[in-house]
Amino acid sequence: MKRPIKVLIAKAGLDGHERGALVVAMGLRDAGMEVVYTGIRNTPEQIVAAAVQEDVDAIGLSSLSGGHMAQFSRVMELLKKEKVKGVLVFAGGIIPDDDVKKLKKLGIKEVFGPGSSIASIVEFLRKNVRLK
Amino acid sequence: MTMQGKEFTKLVTRLEGGEALPSELYARTGKARIVGITGPPGVGKSSLIDRLIDELRKQGKTVGVIAIDPTSPISGGALLGDRLRMQRHSEDEGVFIRSLATRHHHGGLTDSTAQIVHALDATGFDIVIVETVGTGQDEVEVAEVADTVAVVLMPELGDEIQRAKSGLMEIADILVINKADLLGEGKARQESRPPNKSEKWERPTIHTSAKTGDGVTILCEAVDAHHAYLVASGELVRRRERAARAEVIRLLQSRMTASILRTLEAPRAQTILTEVAQRKLDPFDAVQRLSEEILGSNK
Repeated sequence: MKRPIKVLIAKAGLDGHERGALVVAMGLRDAGMEVVYTGIRNTPEQIVAAAVQEDVDAIGLSSLSGGHMAQFSRVMELLKKEKVKGVLVFAGGIIPDDDVKKLKKLGIKEVFGPGSSIASIVEFLRKNVRLK
Repeated sequence: MTMQGKEFTKLVTRLEGGEALPSELYARTGKARIVGITGPPGVGKSSLIDRLIDELRKQGKTVGVIAIDPTSPISGGALLGDRLRMQRHSEDEGVFIRSLATRHHHGGLTDSTAQIVHALDATGFDIVIVETVGTGQDEVEVAEVADTVAVVLMPELGDEIQRAKSGLMEIADILVINKADLLGEGKARQESRPPNKSEKWERPTIHTSAKTGDGVTILCEAVDAHHAYLVASGELVRRRERAARAEVIRLLQSRMTASILRTLEAPRAQTILTEVAQRKLDPFDAVQRLSEEILGSNK
């Protein structure tokens, strides 16, 4: 039997807007995925450590407070430093178009803004996650 | 830890998928103390473990945690939300936390729990904490895996009849009433006394508050005292024999189940099942006929 896709959903930095991340977490659960939800106020270090210990296939980062560039780029930096391979990183929240381009350059595969459907995130993960 | 972090985490994933722990690792197990934390959903098991980790780390002990949440019977997915309560320990190299979904296993654990406990044990963690799913009255499998079982409840969960019922309450070596802050300030400190006898175990009731941290030190002392009792009384050896037996039985059962399901796919078996549905054959006669084939296919 093929195992379910395992995803970490986390909010980095000082940002308490949890609803969107929780909705995505529940949506992925309903699509048959195993979702580790670590909630608000995670440091990039905690996120990467959790991703390693949980051996997830993907990390979903949420930010609505404007801290995305600092927080997300640090996550990408740490993943590189810790030599974590084969983990897909995607993001969501309030992120300006210019920053979306920058984040994609850093290796964040997709950014889901307001109005994105759960179905589109599910499809994205099913298409892009390689089950090891 | 004797294994590199990433190598270890990949091993845990393979065990979760049903692979066997390498024999040379199993040979190294038996040193860790295994503590089961169980109880109904929402009583604060994960938050209490977060506090226990603090206490154990202060004592210099390394801690492995297996935190289990249920798989959805509808979608097959799961929301694993235990880690969130302990996330501040993520960066501590003396702590390893892995969230697991039940993947339709009943009994409070997962198919792979015992194997992953062995892996943490073999890797050198001093304490392995197994947090079950939120349990009802009848999910008691953790008693077949852990040396010490703490059943966590909270105030106002029921009267003395509830306490007298069989099942969950009977497997408690330690009874914890968490959220004692709801009973008023200082309640956790006033109510809890650690046990000190080692020949005969009298189950203590410990009041804790994961919110304030009250009572957590006493709970830790109770866990230590129970371990001392297990060693002094010889009960530890008996429990571990029982655990080994239970694990082998579970593995045999899952192999038999796989074999049964394979047999049922055959056309002849399908015919038998259809006949049962049509009331031409009763279920017991069907089992009689099928079991001969299943036992044959197991040889």
